[in-house]
Amino acid sequence: MKHYIERDVPFELHEVNILGAEDEDLEEISRESGVGLSLDEMKMVKEHFEELDRNPTDLELEAIGQAWSEHCCYKSSKPILKDTVFDIEAPQNIYVIEEDAGVVEFDDEHAYVVALESHNHPSAIEPYGGAATGIGGIVRDVTCMGAQPLAFVDPLFFGPLDMDYEELPSGTKHPRYLFNGVVHGISDYGNRLGIPTLAGMVYFDESYTSNCLVNVGCIGIAKKEELIRSRVKEPGDVFIVAGGRTGRDGIHGVTFASDELREDSEEEDIGAVQLGDPITKEPLIHASLELNRKNLLQGMKDFGGGGLSCVAGEMALAGGYGAEVQLHKVPLKEDDMAPWEIWVSESQERMMYAVKEEDVERVLEICKKWDVEATRIGRVIDEKRVKVYYEDEKIMDLDLEFQTGGPTYCRPTEIVEYTEEVEEEEPELPEDHEKVLLELLSRDNINSKEWVIRQYDHEVRENTILKPLQGVLGNQGPGDASVIKPLEGSFKGITITTDVLPSLTSLDPKAGAMNTLDEAIRNLVSVGSRPHSFADCLNFGNPEIPERLGDFKRVAEGLGEAARSLNIPFVSGNVSFYNQTEYGAVKPTPSILACGLIEDVRESITMDLKEESNPVYLVGETKGAMGGSEYYRMVGGNTGKVPKVDIERLETSMEEMLKAHSEGLIRSCHDISLGGLGVALSEMCLAGNMGVKIEIATELRSDDFLFSESPTRWLVEVDEEDVDEFEKTFSVPINRLGVTGGKDLHIDINSEVIDVELEKIRETWKTSLAEKMGE
Amino acid sequence: MKREDVDVAVLRIEGTNCEEESYLAFKRLGANAEKVHLKQLLSKDVLEDEERSLDGYDILMIPGGFSAGDYIRAGAIFGARTKSALGEELKNFVETGKPVLGVCNGFQILVEMGLLPAVDKTISQVPKAALETNDSNRFECRPTLLKVEDNSNCVFTRGYKEHEIVLYPSAHKEGKFVLDESISLEELEKNDQIVFRYTAPDGGEPEYPWNPNGSLDNIAGICNPEGNVLGLMPHPERVFDPYTNPDWTRKGLKENRGDGKTLFKSVLEYVEDNF
Repeated sequence: MKHYIERDVPFELHEVNILGAEDEDLEEISRESGVGLSLDEMKMVKEHFEELDRNPTDLELEAIGQAWSEHCCYKSSKPILKDTVFDIEAPQNIYVIEEDAGVVEFDDEHAYVVALESHNHPSAIEPYGGAATGIGGIVRDVTCMGAQPLAFVDPLFFGPLDMDYEELPSGTKHPRYLFNGVVHGISDYGNRLGIPTLAGMVYFDESYTSNCLVNVGCIGIAKKEELIRSRVKEPGDVFIVAGGRTGRDGIHGVTFASDELREDSEEEDIGAVQLGDPITKEPLIHASLELNRKNLLQGMKDFGGGGLSCVAGEMALAGGYGAEVQLHKVPLKEDDMAPWEIWVSESQERMMYAVKEEDVERVLEICKKWDVEATRIGRVIDEKRVKVYYEDEKIMDLDLEFQTGGPTYCRPTEIVEYTEEVEEEEPELPEDHEKVLLELLSRDNINSKEWVIRQYDHEVRENTILKPLQGVLGNQGPGDASVIKPLEGSFKGITITTDVLPSLTSLDPKAGAMNTLDEAIRNLVSVGSRPHSFADCLNFGNPEIPERLGDFKRVAEGLGEAARSLNIPFVSGNVSFYNQTEYGAVKPTPSILACGLIEDVRESITMDLKEESNPVYLVGETKGAMGGSEYYRMVGGNTGKVPKVDIERLETSMEEMLKAHSEGLIRSCHDISLGGLGVALSEMCLAGNMGVKIEIATELRSDDFLFSESPTRWLVEVDEEDVDEFEKTFSVPINRLGVTGGKDLHIDINSEVIDVELEKIRETWKTSLAEKMGE
Repeated sequence: MKREDVDVAVLRIEGTNCEEESYLAFKRLGANAEKVHLKQLLSKDVLEDEERSLDGYDILMIPGGFSAGDYIRAGAIFGARTKSALGEELKNFVETGKPVLGVCNGFQILVEMGLLPAVDKTISQVPKAALETNDSNRFECRPTLLKVEDNSNCVFTRGYKEHEIVLYPSAHKEGKFVLDESISLEELEKNDQIVFRYTAPDGGEPEYPWNPNGSLDNIAGICNPEGNVLGLMPHPERVFDPYTNPDWTRKGLKENRGDGKTLFKSVLEYVEDNF
């Protein structure tokens, strides 16, 4: 049978012959059109149109395909998230989960806005453009709440940099090429927008070789009274599309994001990668914020996945109404686009405004001042439908609840206890601990990321109080969290960190998730701030595989349990499934963007050692559970024993650390994470350009103690005169390890001695990554 | 002229992005600063009450960013547009001795317009210098140390001590200062036009990264022979306060100023005294 029937109109329009279609026709239609719906979903569509007694137009089917994609409607993840990370009630919540970005109280008059998203598949194909448009999308998510963007964050995940070209899976680009392209894309685009990039991480692992992960986040600030929703207010409001023109770039982006990458993805899906243009975007931000400040907008939403189809539908439905759109009025990059292409294009740099009729003219004038193209394309109607016209022809008339409701699946999950499958293999005690430490410090998951960080402007806007690199000029080390001061005339600050522990999460998803939150909290506490909110970007494999969805479920449980016990809300999030190729799935990667608050930024603390002869303390307890540690990865050890987070202990430690901070007892502080105490101490020395001499007696193996990644631990430098008061502050275990001074790192542990000049450590730590990138 | 009567225009077009902190630097010191879009000076696409004229201002600042995307050459598009539309007014502005400051992209624009180095006249027809791509071929965001080479001719540096070393952060991909062969370094020296040079922490010859871009003779900023037009790559407005210094947690906050504050204070004092 014929799948498409051409309608006799002066433009391209087909009816999709769904009414008489058999199952195999339905499957074929879904495949041919690229809408990406399953057979069951196609049957739901067929049923709906049987009731209407007509065939859908190509545009209607496309609209449904976009709205029902995993990317837009979270059909696999929603039931799990509802039971875990959603609905953590905290007094600081303003709008959480329900909008494109989370809105959280900053002070009486202001709110901060947080969003975190993945841009994985586009970046795997076109790293520069994919990463750049990722930044573009996330900054619109924050702007459309009426907030001034303040900072970007970007956790990135690639295959090993030194991988042989012969080992690369077919159709896959080399990790070095991807890494370079992504960093360059973020640098070019983020810097051009004039928003600092303040936090992030880069993690290398084989599982990301054929499916790299690019997560981008943005934080903004708004006056509470100027917050605006992504919804229409009343019938008669006018829809205005502003910013870039609509083109063929980014068609089927969401369906592309909701499927596995294949060898031929590049040829097949290159059109799904949008093109970014920061110089259209920058004035669009200014114009949007000015319009909002002047109270000329009823609602505002950015064009993201699904394009106009999703924006119009979601804005209207959230307001309780419907939309009528004159599609031929949308300004185009290419004249010959078919209506359905215009309707679902994900072209970048576009914003939708809902505006009262009487304000339309003023809105168009202000856009013109900013050289932002703005066009009225439709209006809000008093019924929950979306009607689309092209010239005089009605080409869509759909019930909104049917279209955007989307299916929800309780897909089967299977929980795998990976730790029980591990064949225990304890490495031999190394003969030379110093050599092990230096080798750890040169590893790409630990070595200095200065090569990346300095390509991002992290100071524009002059709000950055603690920068990503901290310490002595020319010798700076990795800060635990960055600190910004968002308001003129107030010293209150927001602190920012991003974290995830894929190696641990792949071994024990739940424990890995909890350790990830523990690390995020440690980082915020390190600089002296109180953890305040989380955003998550959950990157996983194919959810139709029960084991993958089982991993997802365990991770969500871990995140939910830890956050709920601490009463720190998840305010915004994004799920990215299908990060999987025929070579396997990525390790479960729940990236976390955590924000904290600090009352006075001038009291924030950096991680560099400050002064000679100061005692150095270890706060927290070191255990030998080495599963998932970077040390075991390096030496090839295997164990199913993984570090576990004791939430009560975490809470007590956090409170006691914050008390020590508030009493001014902490001179420098660094959290202990990848590579353990040995690495953390080295970093503090390097950043302070100052040595340390410590002595440890432990029942653990000396290498386990030095490189264990047990959670809830910090290294703290204290003034000698504050020692008594410092010690009195803690009920959790603390240990005085030694004192600062000299130019050597000197560790004596169970009579094993490491004694190495800082210069030698610096050489390996600082240059390893840059050298691999061809510097 | 009183401080609060000093009108400062912080100029922007699409792609300008350091305007907020530049504006605040003047405002915090009590001047009457305003962010002005180029279109407001040209009376194009703006309401009547948004129209402005350049000669209504006492100081013009062109802040950093990526004006018009900088897809041709940094500052080229903004420079050409401003020059063709406002050339004559700008010339008058400079010739009456009013100060013009260009930071980062603003420096590139001043060079593109021919307002710097302007060795023999106020505006040269074609650019006589350029800010080329950094030797590293990368964007470099890092602390840089500058030696104040001139604190008498230039109206922006009179509050600094001679040869004082200041920390202004740099953040650019195109900041390598080079001169057209028709101009010699000696000429700039003779005219006291070299205002800032990059320096190493010990005050010695700066290797990369202390000279972050490979600039000729380590030049970070120059002024015109009259000293009222200054362009520099590093950002004084990012170190107005002590707590945005990259190493403030080591030094403490006893001194209530960042190194950049003096630059803004100096030029305001110059205007107060002379207009």
